[in-house]
Amino acid sequence: MLEVKNLSVAYGGLRALADVTLSVAERQFVTLVGPNGAGKSTLFKTISGIVPPVSGTISFAGESLLGRRPSERAHLGIAHVPEGRQVFKTLTVRENLEMGAYPKAGRAHWTQTLDRIHTLFPILAERAGQLAGTLSGGEQQMLAIGRGLAGAPRLLMLDEPSMGLAPTVADTIFERISQIHREDGVTILLVEQRVAEALERSDHGYVLETGHIVLEGRYETLLADDRVRRSYLGLTEEA
Amino acid sequence: MDLEILIENVLNALTAGITIGCIYGLMCIGLGLIFGIMRIVNFAQGELLMLGMFASFYLVSEGRVLSVLGLYWGPFIGAMLAGPMIFIAGALLHRFIVSRVSGLRTVGSLDEGHFGQLVVTLGISLILQNGGQILFGSTPVAVRTPLSSEAFLIGPVYQGATVFLNKAKLVAFFVAVLAAVVLYLTLEYTRLGKALRAAADNPTAATYMGIDVDRSYRIAFGLGCGITAVAGGLMATYISFGPFVGFDYVIIMYSGVVLGGMGSIFGAFWGGVTVGFVQQFSALILPPQLQNAAIFVVFLMIVLLRPQGLFGRSAERA
Amino acid sequence: MRHGAGPLLRWNVMVLAVVVVAYLLLAFFVTNSYYQLILTLVPVWALFGVSWNILSGYGGQLSFGHASFFGIGAYTVTLAVVYWSLSPWLGIPLGMVLGGVAAIAIGLPTFRLRGHYFALSMLAYPLAILYVMQYLGFQEVSMPMHRDNALAFMEFDEPRIYTLIAVLLLVGGVVVSLIIENSRFGLALLAIRQNELAAEAAGINARREKMRSLVVSGMMGAAAGGFYARVLLVVTPDSVFGMLVSAQAVVVTLFGGVASVWGPVIGAAILIPLAETLQAELGTYLPGIQGVVYGVAIIAVMLLSPDGLFWTIRDRWFRREAPQAIPNLEPVPQPARRPSAHSAGPLLQVEKVSRAFGGLRAVSEVSFSVAEGEILGIIGPNGAGKTTLFNVLNGVLDADQGSARLDGQPMLGKKTFEVCRMGVGRTFQVVRSFSRLPVLDNVIIGAYGAGLSDREAIAQAVRALHQVGLQDRSGVAAGQLTNKQLRLMELARALAGNPRLLLLDETLAGLGREECDEVLDVLGRLRVQGMTICIIEHTMHAMMRLADRFVVLDHGRVLATGPPRVVVEDHSVIEAYLGKKWLARHGA
Repeated sequence: MLEVKNLSVAYGGLRALADVTLSVAERQFVTLVGPNGAGKSTLFKTISGIVPPVSGTISFAGESLLGRRPSERAHLGIAHVPEGRQVFKTLTVRENLEMGAYPKAGRAHWTQTLDRIHTLFPILAERAGQLAGTLSGGEQQMLAIGRGLAGAPRLLMLDEPSMGLAPTVADTIFERISQIHREDGVTILLVEQRVAEALERSDHGYVLETGHIVLEGRYETLLADDRVRRSYLGLTEEA
Repeated sequence: MDLEILIENVLNALTAGITIGCIYGLMCIGLGLIFGIMRIVNFAQGELLMLGMFASFYLVSEGRVLSVLGLYWGPFIGAMLAGPMIFIAGALLHRFIVSRVSGLRTVGSLDEGHFGQLVVTLGISLILQNGGQILFGSTPVAVRTPLSSEAFLIGPVYQGATVFLNKAKLVAFFVAVLAAVVLYLTLEYTRLGKALRAAADNPTAATYMGIDVDRSYRIAFGLGCGITAVAGGLMATYISFGPFVGFDYVIIMYSGVVLGGMGSIFGAFWGGVTVGFVQQFSALILPPQLQNAAIFVVFLMIVLLRPQGLFGRSAERA
Repeated sequence: MRHGAGPLLRWNVMVLAVVVVAYLLLAFFVTNSYYQLILTLVPVWALFGVSWNILSGYGGQLSFGHASFFGIGAYTVTLAVVYWSLSPWLGIPLGMVLGGVAAIAIGLPTFRLRGHYFALSMLAYPLAILYVMQYLGFQEVSMPMHRDNALAFMEFDEPRIYTLIAVLLLVGGVVVSLIIENSRFGLALLAIRQNELAAEAAGINARREKMRSLVVSGMMGAAAGGFYARVLLVVTPDSVFGMLVSAQAVVVTLFGGVASVWGPVIGAAILIPLAETLQAELGTYLPGIQGVVYGVAIIAVMLLSPDGLFWTIRDRWFRREAPQAIPNLEPVPQPARRPSAHSAGPLLQVEKVSRAFGGLRAVSEVSFSVAEGEILGIIGPNGAGKTTLFNVLNGVLDADQGSARLDGQPMLGKKTFEVCRMGVGRTFQVVRSFSRLPVLDNVIIGAYGAGLSDREAIAQAVRALHQVGLQDRSGVAAGQLTNKQLRLMELARALAGNPRLLLLDETLAGLGREECDEVLDVLGRLRVQGMTICIIEHTMHAMMRLADRFVVLDHGRVLATGPPRVVVEDHSVIEAYLGKKWLARHGA
């Protein structure tokens, strides 16, 4: 469904991604892990069109994304739940979800998706009239995911949903993401630091380090590979 | 007898403060909307007010296209029609000039593009002011309505003290409040309004939702211009004006927006109302030339002592 | 005077001399009195532009209210003649003094504001004065003539003498501006314009420098206004305090070239005659054509060449081949380290420092110490509070509680530039350089901030360049450096203040493997020379090799402290980085 081929990106004069190739099949759950500063968020921003690539291609459902304006991409069925949540703080919880449903598909299925979001995250129904800026970090994360779902996307991209959250809250979030994948059949591309939590739910994983894909494979393979830890903690042997 | 005059003056200042204040409020919303959504300080806002006045003037004055509407309805319909006209003008200005020095493309640049955006709107202001002089001439004109010389008398409320309600100002007041309410409902409850607020809150995230932020900004700029132009059209029924009239009101607009808390769109309305009151009441104690100076002093004090505005918490976006 | 300014300054002075002679020759042959007036007004508006440029061009403090100073000068000169029969020869200096006083009165409250707020507030001052002048009845004040004592009252039958005086005033303004441009003051202003925070971190007292620039600017603006009043012989509030006056300064400078001494001169020389001629030729049919021309001019300039004509022309046709390295720069030996008061104790001692934003505890009871000569790596997941910790340590943010001592001296509660002067150098995640200035000038800012004399500052900057290995690139404009070299330049800027402690924030971000190794070598050499370093960094393989010790932060708290090899095996650290599931699978 999503094909990224030989993608290179320079960001503010810095080289952020080099020759990255990655693919996500329909209904797959793919995880991208890697240490801070590896370029994971840059990859997401490039897919969403906020950052232009230097070279390479990105296609979604067989169609090249590079000619598409950033705002059109959501309407194709790509939902991006950004790093740091980025909810609309001055809008209410309900209005945030409505904005999530801005794409055509989201509007068409609004009542069902809203029910579904409220089932997954009941707190969002309770807080419907509250300003999003007054929510706690975990609630904002739930809102950000709910807002992504509201567009009835085909592909849900989640950027570090556990960032800055207490472990128990993070666990809930991960559980919900699995549920969305299993029960709603949404294709998931997840970027995470918490390697094990992320990988154990996914079908396929990639490890990104300083802009390169250094490892990829099925989750059992990656989880068993101590190179992941070495990459995170800087223990990779020098060439 | 002294008390009687005092009461009469205070009551008249009060009613004039409310009517004029609400018209100022509408005028301020235009600037506040542009700042609140795009963080653009539009120096040319006074000139858009002026364009609103002239748009109305050229539509409905004697012998013009819409003069058939008559002298009672015409001027107010003209004011309302000035809105869409100046909306288009504003959207074009944004499309071809303002957007090139503001918005997403300046994020992260040196000083976040303040310089370019302030200077470009200053340039627009100079062109409109002086171009206005070429097009419209510098002789002051007015949109005549018999209502501006008619008043409702209320009272006497205390001995001989009577309240005068100018009919033109009263109708203008109702139109202004109506326009503000319509705008409020639009921003608060329609899909477009919510999308504008989302684009203001977090342009990047709004793009992820599929909102075309450039287009939203263009609409917001046009709306801000159009709203101020409606206020201009309304004011045109009770003042005379020339191409440089914007200058007299631009500081009132800044004061209103700052008083309301920069970034708060409807705070700007209450800010404008406050300025109306300050102006009317300062007339009781200060000579006329110092009324504007009084507004500046209030403006400076607010900026220096309470930059978040009287009606807002800190509105500056992080 | 700064290093290497000599040749450039000589060149500028020569240009100035040629321009002045040519202009005066031109003025000599012009007999039409209207054109003579234009020739007198060009230098006046150029001077006013130069004045605006000092505050808003070099210092970046955008002012739309410069008419305050112009008007104060104009009214002082006029009213002094009217009421005290004081000659303009004395009235202009008096106006300049009042302009300077007004600058202080305006600056004290207004510099508390930044950006939009500053620009808007500045707009209000001249307009407020304008209405007060109208109220006081100074609607239209004419300057009485003193035929009996013409010379003493600056009255000449020969109009070309006014042109001469105007040119001399402008020469004065240009010279002042050139001196500022080539002094540490000018460099400090540029640094503030670029990034006020980084300037403060380099030891510059931004508030004081901004105030100085406003005073110089205000005095110069008043001189322009004062002479303008003498030439036109009549002042009205609108003609000297009006919006168009303020706009004039902005327009000529931006059109000609902002932050260059020649910008306002070029702008005035082109726009004033153009607008005046149009006004004279077409004014009757097209009143206001002047304002339209100005408006079109500044919009066109902002869209096509945002820095103004001077820079566009210079960058396109006169990009002189700068030498790679500025010759004859010898490094001084490493100065003796400041003697330590408590040589036994740690250099930096941080105890229970906390800082919250609303409900979020970004830094929570953080304690650690750094020994002299040690490299301490501060690591942790995104959002762990690392940069916030640095901001608290060097005074950018206030701590809610806790203490931090540098060699026994308390650091918290001091202003950023004061912390820098205590001997703390800092670099930032995002490098902000002065792309048109040579590398050496970029580095010298750090030495100036530390309060060194010009000579010492050059020597220190050169030494810092040697320390990071950029000595062969000292003459290159910073805009031509690679990312790695920029990082090294920023490091050199921090070193030029001869700090005892360096706080480095993501110095290796975005560097490739080899580049990263080169920067690591430089940091390694600094360690050998005895420098103490705290470094935030995500590139773990580099940190493993560089740091003596790690402090791991997570959710604002210290998770672990110790030697790198030990810390990365620590379970809580592995959990923070890889999650507890990973630990459960691989743990123990």
